[in-house]
Amino acid sequence: MELSPGDEIRSAPRIMTRERMRWYVDALPTVEANDGRVHFSVPTIHDDDEYARGQGLPGIISDGMITTNWILDLLLRSFGTQVLEDPGALLTKFVAPVYEDVPITCVLRVEGVQALPQGGQRLSLKVWAEDGAGKLVTVGTAAVKIH
Amino acid sequence: MATGRYTSDLEEGDRLGPVDVVISPFQVREYCHANEMHQPCFQNVPNPIVPPTMAHLEKLRFYTIYCPDGCGPNARVHYTFDVRWHGALRAGTPLVVEGVVRSRYMKRGREYMDVDITMRDKAADRLLVEYRDTVCLSYREAAKDAA
Repeated sequence: MELSPGDEIRSAPRIMTRERMRWYVDALPTVEANDGRVHFSVPTIHDDDEYARGQGLPGIISDGMITTNWILDLLLRSFGTQVLEDPGALLTKFVAPVYEDVPITCVLRVEGVQALPQGGQRLSLKVWAEDGAGKLVTVGTAAVKIH
Repeated sequence: MATGRYTSDLEEGDRLGPVDVVISPFQVREYCHANEMHQPCFQNVPNPIVPPTMAHLEKLRFYTIYCPDGCGPNARVHYTFDVRWHGALRAGTPLVVEGVVRSRYMKRGREYMDVDITMRDKAADRLLVEYRDTVCLSYREAAKDAA
């Protein structure tokens, strides 16, 4: 893949449904328990409307790690899972809440391409997730090696 | 040392761990499934790669150990995820995980806390993952902007 600064890779939009938020919420105690069974979370701002309103929100919002994982997913789809074998970095900041049923598109923008002496290239990327109106909800950077 | 009750009690310099950890294939599959990351390296191999985003769960592990009464008077909100990986971390690898409360600080009227976490291959004493987690401890103030 030939890449140059300014090139963008965009994901197909995904709707941040209530189910997607809940899948993440309940994955946390399930992973923590590590017993092969499903475990359910205590109420959170990510899956319980009443609890979210009690925290000053109009409704549930997604956990920022969902958009972070969707950005990681786009990195892997774009450059292959080899990027996890070599040193890399990913930084994300959660700059706006993502409410139920908002469409989310993840984007990678090439900022720099460095040829490596041992072969391959080091990519510096801006990464973000945006809603259907193009408003940024998660912003950050990534650095990966590609072959 | 301000561990033992709420996450909002943690103080700069508090040490978290070290703890011995082995991440299981089930934990990787479950986490990745919840985030719709269906790559074979996560789902279809006996020793899947641990996605670097799972470093966030090590912070939650420390919260469970050191802050058993939860977040404190206000819900906390995750603000920044910042991970660097130095090679592939595979499920089943014995790890030593430790953390430190790097700083607590005020910014635009809100209080933030940075926690630094490292994940090392126990046998080789090799650094595999470095993670900095930033949370906002005054969530109700942040929620006013989100609403």
